[in-house]
Amino acid sequence: MEFLNLSLIFAAGWLVYRRPQRERLAFGLLVASAVLTVLLFSFATRTSLLPGMNY
Amino acid sequence: MQRQWVYTVLAVAVLALAVGPIGTAVFVLGFWYGDSPCVMCWEQRIAMALIALLGLFVLRYGPRPRYIGLSILVAGYGVFMALRHTALHASRDIGQGFSIEILGAHTYTWALFIFWAAILLMGALLMAVRERDAGGVIRTLRPLEKLAGAVFLVVMAGNLVQAFASTGPPPFMGQGDPVRFSFNPAHWVWSLEEYRAAPVGLRGRWAASKPDASKLDPDPSRGPFEWAPPLTLRGERTLALGLKGTPTGLDYDPDSDRFLLTTGDGVYLADGGLTRAERHAIVDVGYSVDLARFAGAAFLDAATVMAVSNNKSFVILRESDKADASKNFRHFRESFDRFDEVRRGRFSTVRARMMYVMSAAYDPTRQSIFTITVPNERSRGMVVSRFDRRDLTLSEEFVARLSPEAGVRLRGERSLDELYVTGAAVHDGRLFALSAAYSILLEIDLDVRVVVGARSVPGLSRPAGIAFKDGELWVVTEEGKVLTFDLTPAPRPASS
Repeated sequence: MEFLNLSLIFAAGWLVYRRPQRERLAFGLLVASAVLTVLLFSFATRTSLLPGMNY
Repeated sequence: MQRQWVYTVLAVAVLALAVGPIGTAVFVLGFWYGDSPCVMCWEQRIAMALIALLGLFVLRYGPRPRYIGLSILVAGYGVFMALRHTALHASRDIGQGFSIEILGAHTYTWALFIFWAAILLMGALLMAVRERDAGGVIRTLRPLEKLAGAVFLVVMAGNLVQAFASTGPPPFMGQGDPVRFSFNPAHWVWSLEEYRAAPVGLRGRWAASKPDASKLDPDPSRGPFEWAPPLTLRGERTLALGLKGTPTGLDYDPDSDRFLLTTGDGVYLADGGLTRAERHAIVDVGYSVDLARFAGAAFLDAATVMAVSNNKSFVILRESDKADASKNFRHFRESFDRFDEVRRGRFSTVRARMMYVMSAAYDPTRQSIFTITVPNERSRGMVVSRFDRRDLTLSEEFVARLSPEAGVRLRGERSLDELYVTGAAVHDGRLFALSAAYSILLEIDLDVRVVVGARSVPGLSRPAGIAFKDGELWVVTEEGKVLTFDLTPAPRPASS
């Protein structure tokens, strides 16, 4: 899944760099990557969603 | 935006982010040293890449509000991720951690600094933005900005290679404990381990309930022992000391012939008959060190007493007829002129770390304070901790086991972990621990660290503390009763 996520980022960066008129698509890929990051981290840490500290 | 310096600063920041943490992580730590990110490291690295990418967006399209907003969201979540990750290792011994360290700090702790710095930089750049800057034109990148974009893409390409080798294509996902990175496909591990069923929780193993002895079964016949010789009840009466709150701890000092009692936040000195309170103080348990609720009491000498809380924090008080009431306002809520506070602190433990205590005892021979844990839904085990009085530091810990010579036997798969010690005292060099569950009094040999005897204590309900006086066991209960027992157990009936 990290490979997919980095692919989204690379594609968005490429569009910004080489095809700047495709801003909407690039930003959409960026948002999708951000959402995926949050989901993957939350999923990986679901047994203790908050930092495991002495509260 | 006309002020090109802002774009210059941003381009440098994007370059620094791409070359520094993200580029170093993939090309130096990954490809050179073979370090593979764990699943949490991957998400933090990706969040850094997202921030760098958002910087490229601003370089190309100007500081549109949605770029700034998303940057703050990603960096804020990055701080949270770094905290969550760092918390796993933050309390380990010096030098310990997960994977490689840089300049004395492990990579996940650097992430905390980087996300925090990103937020600061974004705030500073925002201050330089004017409303007219947020236009919709596509900027022509200057050489430095082109370099930032190109470096970013190269670093992302490197990350794609590492991610493909280390985590694989979807649906494979990063691992909690990844293997060393290699360009050789024979060493690639693509795992679905993160998809295994797991309970969802907020605080994980730290979500342990506060101790509560009110619903325990006091019947010894249903306890873990096949049989334990019962003590003989000598007397029973109601405590009439005018306590503010229910008793939580008890101790006796033979030199001054006085008892010490604690309530949730009160410390009381009473006469040798436990009939009259001589002095007391209500401690401000929420001031400074969180004293929570007192759970155990101990005389350190005839004039110095200690109250230990269920979270293993403590306060040491010395009785004084010249206590400065004004000075003591910060320490107490009532009776400001009866004690001076000597010290307030916390006992730190290792095996007992995830468990609360409901008892404390002092052994003058060993100059040591003892605590005994009570089980919770996440951690079991009756851990005895010893703290040296001189530095109030953990000096010994052991899990009490039953000696084969104890004269009692456990039923089947039952264990001492079921006991719930709410009172403890040292008598004749041995540690006695009274369990509110099943009303069992354990005798622990502190030299060999094993339970050498067990007795049932009939007629008990919610014991809160124990003490020894003239060879008799004194017990106070949460219900405000005082019971005394002859320590010599009754002989075993022939039918048992």
